[in-house]
Amino acid sequence: MGKRLFGILFLCAVVFVIAGGSTCLAKEKVYINGIDANFPPFAYVDKNGNPDGFDVKSVDWIAKKMGFTVKHQPMDWDGIIPSLRAKKIDMVASGMSITDKRKEQVNFTTPYWNIDQVIVAPKACGRTVDQLLSGGNRVGVQRGTTEAKWMKDNLIAKGKNFVLVEYDSAPLAVEDVLNGRIVAAAMDDAPAKDAVRKKAVKIVGGFGMPSEDFGYAIRKEDTELLKMMNEGLKLLMADPYWEELKEKYKP
Amino acid sequence: MTESLIVLYGALPYLLRGSLVTIAVVAGAMMLGLVLGIHLAVGQVYGGRWLRRVIGVYVWFFRGVPLLVLLFLFYFGLCSLLQINLSAFTVSVIVLGLISSAYQSQIFRGAIMSLPQGQLKAARALGMSDGKAIALIILPQTLRLSIPGWSNEYSIVLKDSAVAYALGVMEMMARAHFVASRTYEHLPLYFAAGFLFMILTYLGTKGLRILEEKVRIPGYSA
Repeated sequence: MGKRLFGILFLCAVVFVIAGGSTCLAKEKVYINGIDANFPPFAYVDKNGNPDGFDVKSVDWIAKKMGFTVKHQPMDWDGIIPSLRAKKIDMVASGMSITDKRKEQVNFTTPYWNIDQVIVAPKACGRTVDQLLSGGNRVGVQRGTTEAKWMKDNLIAKGKNFVLVEYDSAPLAVEDVLNGRIVAAAMDDAPAKDAVRKKAVKIVGGFGMPSEDFGYAIRKEDTELLKMMNEGLKLLMADPYWEELKEKYKP
Repeated sequence: MTESLIVLYGALPYLLRGSLVTIAVVAGAMMLGLVLGIHLAVGQVYGGRWLRRVIGVYVWFFRGVPLLVLLFLFYFGLCSLLQINLSAFTVSVIVLGLISSAYQSQIFRGAIMSLPQGQLKAARALGMSDGKAIALIILPQTLRLSIPGWSNEYSIVLKDSAVAYALGVMEMMARAHFVASRTYEHLPLYFAAGFLFMILTYLGTKGLRILEEKVRIPGYSA
């Protein structure tokens, strides 16, 4: 009796785990796009919990045009390149800047968006960027981003006197600007504009970081997929829908 | 204020669907922990010297390494090393289950140790095999005695499951975070997530309390 009960329990546990795992394994032909759902307006989840955003809708359009199915998988930004390399996902179309360092690990499509990095501060703040990035001030940034690395290498390492505070996402950094724990936050201009539309913050200006290009990241060995995405991007950017997307998401 | 409430109201169905994911993760982990934990406890109490030692190291490992480290270790490390592609959900269930098995084994071990030693000898004297005596005499009492400790473990695993958000499992915490990023309403959303966790804790511990009463043997004391 006792043994049988354990047997049943064990079976339950095994079936449960396998059932959970197989949902991902069963659909082989579906491409999975890993997104940072804390990155509006490029990638976020909408009211009904569906992935939405400029990049999400772009890839949806390309998928339809090129004849494949795509599923958007929200995940942590920190682990997104390891996830891509470990084949948990097949691409990252989620406002990823093309950098030499990342190019060593993954391939990028042709650039589709040019982005500047800006400093965001409370609306009432009267200080300039130089004043904010000095005097031992605490400045927020999203962990694992190009701007975090650039600020460390080019500002702090060269004697600028401020402290970089790292956050899980840009919106959390904005929240802490409003809380007053940090005087300002550095981020891409698109999410900064999104924050300005929703909260009492303003864009103070750039901080000297060269502008960057966004591209879709794809595993090195998936050259077929890279070719397909490049072709799709070319078609999309020539299509009126591209302007529609820009109008809708205002990146 | 009203704006926060509107956002919260709109996000509630989405968060509640996340609670189903949370429940699934916790149920899977607790079941896996239960099955493994019972075996570990029996092995640690009645096993030979080497078995006891191996189980001791197992318990040490899973109680000693932080959950987040184990999640990353299994998800990115072991899965790539062994070339198996498990989903974030599956890895979360397995890791939480293995950790829980270490804790649960000690709950069960404590319960077994609290039984009078003469019971097993009496069962043996009646001609039962060791396995049969453990399964029919020791474990039915052990499991009853373990329910209070087990409900403690349930509430801990429930809250630990929020860490699975780091792997991208779409449970409550991840969803609250995503909605907060879109709407910039951090306070009401984290509050709502916390409240939903409290409700799940209440329902689970209450259910176990009822179970405890249901399986109690009137007049029996160990």
